Amino acid sequence: MKLELGNIIINDIQFTNEGSKVENGVLYVNQEEIKELVLEDSNIDTCEVFIARPGESVRITPVKDVIEPRVKVEGPGGMFPGWIAKVDTVGSGKTNVLKGAAVVTTGKIVGFQEGIIDMSGPGADYTPFSKTYNLVVKMEPVEGLKQHEHEYALRIAGFKVACFLGALGKNLTPDEVETFEFDNLVESARKYPELPRVAYVQMLQSQGLLHDTYVYGVDAKRTLTTIINPLETMDGAIVSGNCVSSCDKNPTYVHQNNRVIRELFKAHGKTLNFMGMIITNENVYLADKERSSNWSAKLAEYLGCDGVIISQEGFGNPDTDLIMNTKKIEAKGIKTVIITDEYAGRDGKSQSLADADASANAVVTGGNANQVIVLPPMETVYGHLHFVDTIAGGSANNIDAHGNITVEIQAITGATNETGFHNLSAR
Amino acid sequence: MEFIVVTNNPLVKEKYENELNVDYADISFRDVLCKVRDMIHKGHRLLTHPLSGSVKPHETPYKSILVSKQATQMDLGEVSIIENSIITADKFAEKFPNMPQSVKEDFQLIDCTLITSGIDAVLRR
Repeated sequence: MKLELGNIIINDIQFTNEGSKVENGVLYVNQEEIKELVLEDSNIDTCEVFIARPGESVRITPVKDVIEPRVKVEGPGGMFPGWIAKVDTVGSGKTNVLKGAAVVTTGKIVGFQEGIIDMSGPGADYTPFSKTYNLVVKMEPVEGLKQHEHEYALRIAGFKVACFLGALGKNLTPDEVETFEFDNLVESARKYPELPRVAYVQMLQSQGLLHDTYVYGVDAKRTLTTIINPLETMDGAIVSGNCVSSCDKNPTYVHQNNRVIRELFKAHGKTLNFMGMIITNENVYLADKERSSNWSAKLAEYLGCDGVIISQEGFGNPDTDLIMNTKKIEAKGIKTVIITDEYAGRDGKSQSLADADASANAVVTGGNANQVIVLPPMETVYGHLHFVDTIAGGSANNIDAHGNITVEIQAITGATNETGFHNLSAR
Repeated sequence: MEFIVVTNNPLVKEKYENELNVDYADISFRDVLCKVRDMIHKGHRLLTHPLSGSVKPHETPYKSILVSKQATQMDLGEVSIIENSIITADKFAEKFPNMPQSVKEDFQLIDCTLITSGIDAVLRR
């Protein structure tokens, strides 16, 4: 299977009263077109659209999802299969990407929802989405809408807007084209017999309301651990319905641009043989955890792996899935490297994970989510600042008289991402 | 498998008390964990993970956990999970002593949804 990602580099977003378009690296957006699209859903009462550029004195909060605008140019399937496009298999042909642009959805779902993106100041260093040109879509639901339907409405609206913007790049010539090829198992094994065989095990958050991930439209908590072609993931097969734990949740943008997959492709045929990708879930029921981790180990063995990389999503309860996966895969004689983040207390001295095992002896950290940061006030806030009191990492009365907010970095979107999407780590 | 819902969440009590075995008490998050730990020591089986999703301990005051109704033999793996959960919970200081009612209700709903996914898994529905 071969996928070409055609990057159309976006250097700015501007509003226009004419039709939305991409021209000379500028994404021109007609707000009315976006609002009309979003308000097609009768569950959404109001919609406002803003632009947030790198370096501006802007804070976006609470962030629900971040999505990269893309369009299928050639080949089967379309964007976000199971939600926007039909369920045809994606991951081949050509997809154009508005590289540098992102759709950021915001709006109240529950009273403590979270996620901060600061476009400048010290907070900007802690989020990857201070470097993208963001179209912020703020939506409020109709009165009395239940949280499940509300989450669904916001999620779908974000995908629709991303598809609308992506489509503006359909007939453009990309500034650069990245080509990824992935062979079948037999072919891979034959090509690089001397290289260590490595697979990627991605754990997907799947516990319930505000904690869900979807694969081709299927709720991951209702799946068995399975094999997916990494190119399918790169082409939008996995999307986020996960609103909680902003620092270490994977927004849809992170699935579309999974760094572990990209690094494995870079090393493929040079230092290792990238054999495939296993996706597994993080459920609340302990028997599900046992079953899913059994299957991770079984599939890693089936792929003939010498080693696997395991990435986690979230914290606490999923630490148990992480350790179960690690123990069982190691027990098959397959080496593991795990990617996680830490809740080691504000002083960094506490035990980092809620579970541990001696076989988890190769660990990459995405940073300590309890690390404290002071965020100075921003001139403009898109969203609802009053939630900052009640988000993860915030605490009562954490805003001082000058408007400085003291929070743990777990409040910042993507700060301690567990797929290596951001820059915090430790050596 | 017959099970008990150990909870301090009034919404879970309201939703399930007529249908399931609900052991409700107006106690703290930590006390729910300790209560379950004591049950596991007596041989009840731990059915759902004691830490909620990615909502941190003490961010939410509510906790519901499923344990088997029948007490047989203590499972050391489950003892380790519950003990580690208590240690983890203690790392997080209580943040919101005066939480607004609307936020409390949202946390009740989240906890209720998470435990519902556990209940559905046990009941295979």
